[in-house]
Amino acid sequence: MPGRQLIMNFEVTPTSHTLEAYKARGGYETLAKALKMAPADITKEVTASGLLGHGGAAFPVGRKWGVMKPNPGEIHYLCANADEGEPGTFKDRWILEHAPHLLVESMLITSYALGVRHAFVYIRGEFDLPWRRIQAGIDDAYAAGYLGKPVFGSDFTLDIVVYRGAGSYVCGEASGLITSIEGRKPYPRNRPPRLTVRGLFQKPTVINNVESLANITGIIRMGAEEFRKVGTAKSPGTQLISISGHIAKPGVYEVEYGYPWAKFLDEDCGGVLHGAKLKCVVPGGISTKVLTRAEIEPLNLSHESVNPAGSGLGSGGMIVIAEGTCMVRLLQVLLRFYHHESCGQCTPCREGMGWMHRIIDRIVEGKGVPEDIERLYAISHANDGTTICGMGDAAGFATVGILNKYRDEFEYWIANGRSKMDGRLECLA
Amino acid sequence: MPRLTIDSREIEAKAGQTVMEAAREHGIFIPYFCWHPNLSVPGNCRICVVGVEDKGGEWVEIACNMPVAEGMVVFTASEKVKARRKATMEFITLNHPVDCGICDKAGECTLQDYHFEYNGERSVSRDAKLHATKHFDLSDRIVLDNERCIQCTRCVRFTREISKSNGLGMLSRGDHSIVRPSADGAFATDAYSDNVIDICPVGALLAKDFLHQARVWYLKATPSVCPGCERGCGVNLWHRREEWMLRSPRQAARNEGIDRVTPLDNPAVNGPWICNKARDIPKLLGRVRASGALFKGSPAPLEAAVLEARALIAEAKRPAAVVSSWASNEELQSFKSAVGTRFALVAKRDHEPQPGEVVQDELLIRADKNPNAAGVRAALGECAREVPKDADLVLVWGEGFDFRAVPPGAKIVFLNAFLAPENGHADVFLPISIQTERDGSYTNFAGVTSRFERCFAAPAGVLHAEALFPALVGHGRGA
Repeated sequence: MPGRQLIMNFEVTPTSHTLEAYKARGGYETLAKALKMAPADITKEVTASGLLGHGGAAFPVGRKWGVMKPNPGEIHYLCANADEGEPGTFKDRWILEHAPHLLVESMLITSYALGVRHAFVYIRGEFDLPWRRIQAGIDDAYAAGYLGKPVFGSDFTLDIVVYRGAGSYVCGEASGLITSIEGRKPYPRNRPPRLTVRGLFQKPTVINNVESLANITGIIRMGAEEFRKVGTAKSPGTQLISISGHIAKPGVYEVEYGYPWAKFLDEDCGGVLHGAKLKCVVPGGISTKVLTRAEIEPLNLSHESVNPAGSGLGSGGMIVIAEGTCMVRLLQVLLRFYHHESCGQCTPCREGMGWMHRIIDRIVEGKGVPEDIERLYAISHANDGTTICGMGDAAGFATVGILNKYRDEFEYWIANGRSKMDGRLECLA
Repeated sequence: MPRLTIDSREIEAKAGQTVMEAAREHGIFIPYFCWHPNLSVPGNCRICVVGVEDKGGEWVEIACNMPVAEGMVVFTASEKVKARRKATMEFITLNHPVDCGICDKAGECTLQDYHFEYNGERSVSRDAKLHATKHFDLSDRIVLDNERCIQCTRCVRFTREISKSNGLGMLSRGDHSIVRPSADGAFATDAYSDNVIDICPVGALLAKDFLHQARVWYLKATPSVCPGCERGCGVNLWHRREEWMLRSPRQAARNEGIDRVTPLDNPAVNGPWICNKARDIPKLLGRVRASGALFKGSPAPLEAAVLEARALIAEAKRPAAVVSSWASNEELQSFKSAVGTRFALVAKRDHEPQPGEVVQDELLIRADKNPNAAGVRAALGECAREVPKDADLVLVWGEGFDFRAVPPGAKIVFLNAFLAPENGHADVFLPISIQTERDGSYTNFAGVTSRFERCFAAPAGVLHAEALFPALVGHGRGA
C-alpha cells in the first residue's frame, strides 16, 4: 500500500463492517473522548489538522465549519454527501460498504462540534450494497444507543436519516443535494447566501463528503499534530484514490499525500493493462484536466504538486488511459455524460452541453469542420464561471484539457473523416 | 447605506439591496430575462452579468443576486461583460426557432430587443435546432410554444409565489426541459393564469383570445380601470391605432373593439398583476349595446325621449333614483348636483358574482363585483337598499335592477348601456355610454381613486350620463 493508512487500516472480512468488529478496533471510543471536549475545541482541532475536503474542490474542512457559528437554540443540519456521481470515482462506496460505523461515529463527533441534532446521509440511488450497509450501521447504532438518545451520559443526541437520491449528477453538488432532500428538483442554488448561512430548509447546513467526514474520527483520536505528520505540509493526511481504466489492478487505494505518482501507477497498481504504454491519466474525476505520462513523471500525489501542473486530484477518481485510445471518442463519451446530466436550470450549461455534444457527434460522424474545434473552446470558455453550480466549468475543463493536448487527433478526424487511433476506447492485449 | 459606483456614477444604495435593484432605482439599466421585481431570484438566465472591480482586475457575476457592498465598483458594459452577454445570447437563441414573423410577441419581445442590443449576429451553430411541442394547450385561455421558451421559469415561479396554484413546473432536464402544467389541472382553474403571458419574456405563452389577432405595433394602450370588482385594478386597454385602422367594411368592427388587456402596474392597487376577469373586459364591455331611445318599448327620437323623461320627473311627487355602482365619480357629481335633495336615493349592485366565478381571495379579487360602490358611498353617503313603497317615479341607472321592486303604478325612467329585455319595461328608456367611451375615475374599496381614459367615440344616439342629468332633472339647459 502506498504510504500510511488512516481509513483502510484494517483487514476486510465478511464481518469487518459490523458494529462488533468496529468496536473491537476501538470504535466509538473517540466519540467518548470528543464528548468530553468543548465543541469549539473540536472545530479548532479540525482546523489545525489542515484537513482538505475530499469531494473534489479540496476546500479546507475547518474553514467550512468555521463559517457556521453554533448558535444554541437554532437548528443546524449536517449532510454527508454520499452521492458519489463523478465518473471514475468510487471511493466513498468503500467507506460505506466496509466502514459504515466510521462514518456514523465521525458524524456524531461533527454534529456535536457544530451543534447539529439532525443529520442526513444523502446516498445515490444506484448504490445498493453501500446503502444497505450504512442503513444497517445506523440501525445498529440506534440499537446500541449511540443515536437517538443521549450518549455516554452527556445531553447530546443525534438522529441520522439516510436519504436515497434518484440518481442525478447535480445531486452531488451541495446545494442541489439539499434541494433534493427538501423533496424538489435538485436545481443548485445561487450563492450568496452560503449554505452554512442558509441551507437545508433555510437553516445553516454543513455538507461534507463521506471521506472528509470519515477522517474526523482519526483526527480527534490522534490529535491534529499527529495527523499532520501523515502526508505533506500542505496536504495533510491521506486520500482514497479509486483507480480504473486501462490499469492492471483497478480498485480503491489509500494513498498518503506526497507519494510519487509514477511509482503508484507502476508498482502499486501494477502498471498499465497488458503492459501497454501510458497515454494519459485523468487525475481526479473526469472534470479534471488530463495529464500525460511525461507530465506526471515528476509529480507526487498531493495538491501542491498536481495543481501547478494545471490539473487537480479532485475526487480521487483516477482513470488511466493507455496508448492507442482515441481521445475524440473519449471526449464524445464525456460530453454525452455532461449533456445528459445538465439539470437545465441556467442557460450556459443547459444549451452549451447539448451544443458541444452535437458538435462532437457530428465530428465522429465525419461531418466536422475545422471551426468546430474553436467552437468547442468558445463554448467551454463561455461556461467557465458563468453557471450557478460548478458543472459548466467542469465540462469546460475536461474539454479544454483534452483539446489542448490531443488537438491533432481532432484535426485528423475532421480532415479524414475517421479516427487517428482506430476509434478504440479499449486497451487490447 | 452602502455607497457604490456603477459605470462611474456614484450612488447610494439601501442595505440589503442587490446591485440589480440599486441600479434600477437609480435609472441604470441592466438587462434581465428571469429576474422580476415581484418574484424570487432564480439567477438562471445569466444575462444580467456585470463586472466588479477586484484588486485591479475584474470579475464577472450576475447582478440580480449580488448584494451591494460599500465601495463596490460595478461596470455594466465593460469588454468582459459584453463578451459574456454575447455568449449568453448565443446560448439562449441556440435552440430558439426565431419565428418572429408569426409570433404575437414580436415587437414587444425581450429576446428580440436583447438580440439586437447584445449580439446582433447570425447564429454560429451548424447543427439543427432542437424541436419541442409547438402548440401545447395549457388551458382554455393559454397556448404554450415550448420551442420559443427560454426556460426562465418566471411562469413557474408566478404560480408558486403569487397565484399559489402551483400549476406549472419544469419537466425533464438539460436542454430537453420543458414547462408543463401539473397533473391535477390546477393551472386551468388558476384565476390569475393569464399573467404568465405578460411576464413571459418571449412568445412562449400566448393568449388564445389574442392569438394572431394583431401585431402589437398596430395597437396602442389606453390606461383604464378594470370594472370587474371593487379592487379597481389598473389595466391597459389595447385597441387599434388611428393610422392602422382596418379599411375593409367586413373588418371595420374590429377598429372599435378592445384587442387585449394587460396590467397597468399600480403598486397602490394591484401591482403588476390582474385576474383573468380583467382579461375578459372586451367580453364584459363588448356585449350588444342599446342603440336608441325607447318609449314604452317602441323606438322614439332621442330628443323627444329626453323631454318626455324630463316631464315625467318634473311631475313626480315622490321620485326615487336607483344609483349605478358602475358610475364614475364625475357622473356621480353631476348626478348629485342635478338631483339635489328631491330624490330618495337607492344604492344598487349592478353585477353580482356569477356561477363559477371566484368570489373573493387573498390576492386581488373582491366580492363586490362593481368598480365604484365606494365612490357612490363617498358622493351620496349611505343610501337605502330598497325602493320606497310610496315612490311614484323610479329613475333606474344601470344594469342589475329587479323591476319587480318598483311600486305598482310608478313611472320608470331607465338609463342603460346594453341591450336587455328590461329596456322595454320602462316608460322612457335612454341609452348611455360605457367606460371606454369617456374619461373618468373610480374609487376602490380602499379609497384609492384611479382614472380611466377614453378609447373610442360613443356610438351615434348614445348619451353621456354626466351631461344627461342636468338636462333630465336640472333647472338649466334642455337636452
